[in-house]
Amino acid sequence: MIEMKHVSFRYEAGKEILDDISFRLEAGESVGLIGANGAGKSTIMKLLSGILFGDGEVLIAKTAVNPKNLYEIRRKLGYVLQDSDDQMFMPTVYEDMIFAPRNYGLSKEETEERIDAVLEKLDLKELKHSRNHKISGGEKRMAAIATILAMDPEVILMDEPTASLDPYNRRLVINAINSLSQTKLITSHDLDMILDTCGRVILLDQGKIIADGKTEEILRDQKLLEAHRMELPLSFTRR
Amino acid sequence: MHMADALLSPAVATAMYAASGTAAAISIRRLKKDEEHSKLPVMAVSAAMIFAGQMINYTIPGTGSSGHLCGGMLLSALLGPYAGFLSMIVVLAIQCLFFADGGLMALGANVWNMAFYGCFVGYFLIWRPIMRSRLFGASDDHNAQRLRIILASVLGCVITLQLGAFSVVLETTLSGITELPFGAFCGLMLPIHLAIGFVEGLITAAVLTFVYEARPELLQEVTPAEAGSGKLSLKQTVAILAVVTCLVGGGLSLYASSNPDGLEWALFGNAEAGYNENMGLDEDNFGVSSTAAETAAGIQETTSFLPDYAFKDSDSAAGTTVSGLVGSAMVAGAAALICLAGGFFRPKKTA
Amino acid sequence: MNKIDQALYEFREMDELADQDSLVHRFPVLPKVLLTILYILIVLSFHKYDLSSLSVMILFPVFFYQLSGIPLRKCFYKLRFVLPLVMAVGILNPFFDHTVIMKIGPLSVTGGWISMLTLMLKGILALTASFLLVATSGIARICAALRRMHVPSVLVTLLLLTYRYITVLSEEVSVMSNAYHLRAPRQKGIEYSAWGSFLGQLLLRSMDRAEEIYQAMLLRGFHGHFHYVDEKPASPKDWLTGLLIGALIVFCRYYNVASFLGSLFVR
Repeated sequence: MIEMKHVSFRYEAGKEILDDISFRLEAGESVGLIGANGAGKSTIMKLLSGILFGDGEVLIAKTAVNPKNLYEIRRKLGYVLQDSDDQMFMPTVYEDMIFAPRNYGLSKEETEERIDAVLEKLDLKELKHSRNHKISGGEKRMAAIATILAMDPEVILMDEPTASLDPYNRRLVINAINSLSQTKLITSHDLDMILDTCGRVILLDQGKIIADGKTEEILRDQKLLEAHRMELPLSFTRR
Repeated sequence: MHMADALLSPAVATAMYAASGTAAAISIRRLKKDEEHSKLPVMAVSAAMIFAGQMINYTIPGTGSSGHLCGGMLLSALLGPYAGFLSMIVVLAIQCLFFADGGLMALGANVWNMAFYGCFVGYFLIWRPIMRSRLFGASDDHNAQRLRIILASVLGCVITLQLGAFSVVLETTLSGITELPFGAFCGLMLPIHLAIGFVEGLITAAVLTFVYEARPELLQEVTPAEAGSGKLSLKQTVAILAVVTCLVGGGLSLYASSNPDGLEWALFGNAEAGYNENMGLDEDNFGVSSTAAETAAGIQETTSFLPDYAFKDSDSAAGTTVSGLVGSAMVAGAAALICLAGGFFRPKKTA
Repeated sequence: MNKIDQALYEFREMDELADQDSLVHRFPVLPKVLLTILYILIVLSFHKYDLSSLSVMILFPVFFYQLSGIPLRKCFYKLRFVLPLVMAVGILNPFFDHTVIMKIGPLSVTGGWISMLTLMLKGILALTASFLLVATSGIARICAALRRMHVPSVLVTLLLLTYRYITVLSEEVSVMSNAYHLRAPRQKGIEYSAWGSFLGQLLLRSMDRAEEIYQAMLLRGFHGHFHYVDEKPASPKDWLTGLLIGALIVFCRYYNVASFLGSLFVR
């Protein structure tokens, strides 16, 4: 569903942000992308969504991402940004949710049906007509996920979905992520969340893939994590 | 500086709407179609930033009072005149709708007085010529660019604010609202706004030079330069410019108030009334302080009427003393009243 | 409360007022906007000595505030920007205009005093009208009305986008300003050494934010269209109601209701 073949990226010659990255996500897989600050996680996300372009090949649903087919690529791809305020630019949750479906040519009725289904699924019905600047941080994050689901994407990218949430809202977001059947790539420093939501983890450091395998194995490998400026998930240390 | 509805006649309000509307229509047309969409977020965020930034109080060294940011110059330096103008319209509209700062019918006039001059005059006649010039050094010389930015900001704010203040006087007079003679009104408004413009200019300059150091590509008409070695610090530049502008400004305001000692008296009476604390350049305070100044000047005008109005029989010497006394008492009374009114309508301070 | 928190509070308050429900709230926004404009224009058109006719116009806001349940005192609080300015200009009139308009016993009332009062009343009335419009409609509905009035979509969209991010950026400024004053407790404002960097930092971050927002739009298929909720267009009944109120406003302009009422009691 998602594939990168020998992808490299740099802003300046000689300073590689990403260096020969190759990986592949099968349909329905949920994968965590972890690494210290500056490891290249967000650059990978930006390359996948066609915000940046590098060397090598990026494929979404078997289509190569290039500047000309962005509209089509992005139809299949939902990207939950880290700052929900940036994502929710319309006045109300409802208007934000209809934004993508209407842009992709769905009729008013279809859009309405789809939105109601998403709100039902995420248990957010009472937020439907709320104003974006009045809802809480947790609600905003859930609403941001809802706006992405309203696109009915095949692939979902999530950037720090649980950052700065209280434990209750964090749990809501984790449950929401687990209820999604789409292919998901999630970057986060919240390793416990990755443990709860992803079967597979890719560890990145200084633009290179260090490890790619089962979440349980990589996140239990204290030596590996510490060698790359990471720590064991809290749930492993406090037992 | 925000005009109120009540100060305009329907005809003037409509005419100003037409003028500002035309400028807006031209701006929209000048924004290229593709640019229109890609620029929308940056225009909106900049407008929101101006709104928030105007609520910051900047302390003016040595005075204990505070100044604000000048939106028009900053926006046009960042976005260019057309996008800057549209963003300013939105800022003014929100101030008018949600804070009653200005009025619904006065919006046209306010857009003209603040956004039009700030963006179009400020950009085409001040910012662009100065930034393209070789003033202070080569076009890509770091220090020269800094100086040009500071000069353009200060000059731009001073001139556009003068134009704005002049328009306020013109619009009010044309609307037949005030009995104050046109010349006297100008003599009051212009010097005050000269001071405000200077401070706003310095604040705007400080922000723009900061942007220039960090991300010069964000500014219009600025060619990114290699960081200069011996760079003039902001403090030094500001000091030099302050001296120059004070000299020029002082000369100008003396000229403007050559009308019989009006302003000096007004300001003196104003200080006497105990309104010098925090009177300075805080814009809403300024509304009040200029109120005091204008009142004072008004009373001064009246005291000059007194001899032939109330004290017809008394000799002129007695008339002067009495009128002087009455004048001072009235200044004090009016100032107290205004402070009271100001305090009454201002947010209650909670700790 | 600092100035910026006060502004945020006022924003929220306006939203809450607009969320209430009343006949005035439910009245379609387009005729409401037009009526407000008509009312203000009529108020402004009164002659500077025509205080008695103008006084009748007070009845409109008083009536509609009662009907809408919006407390008038909330509106008076907003007068703090307008009234000092209007007073500043108006207070000079008594000193310049000595035309004697009427005599009450030994007291002769000059035109200056009348025109000052007229001016202040105009200021208050114009504000009450526009406040009522915003407090019973909210920004989204006003923007819908603006679109119907063929205001260019760039401008309307810009207004909504700006409104959306004003609260976001104001909160940032509030945090920054608190952070500043916690470390500089004796300063009343931002000192000149930080003039550039304080807002400059915000500016740079805001530019990044703008880029992020634009990407967020593109990622969801943006190609120039914003779809907003539109309210139902006004029905013929609504237009008729609006027309009647408008006619009443115009009537009060050309027929001196106050002196008619007065003549009933005083001969």
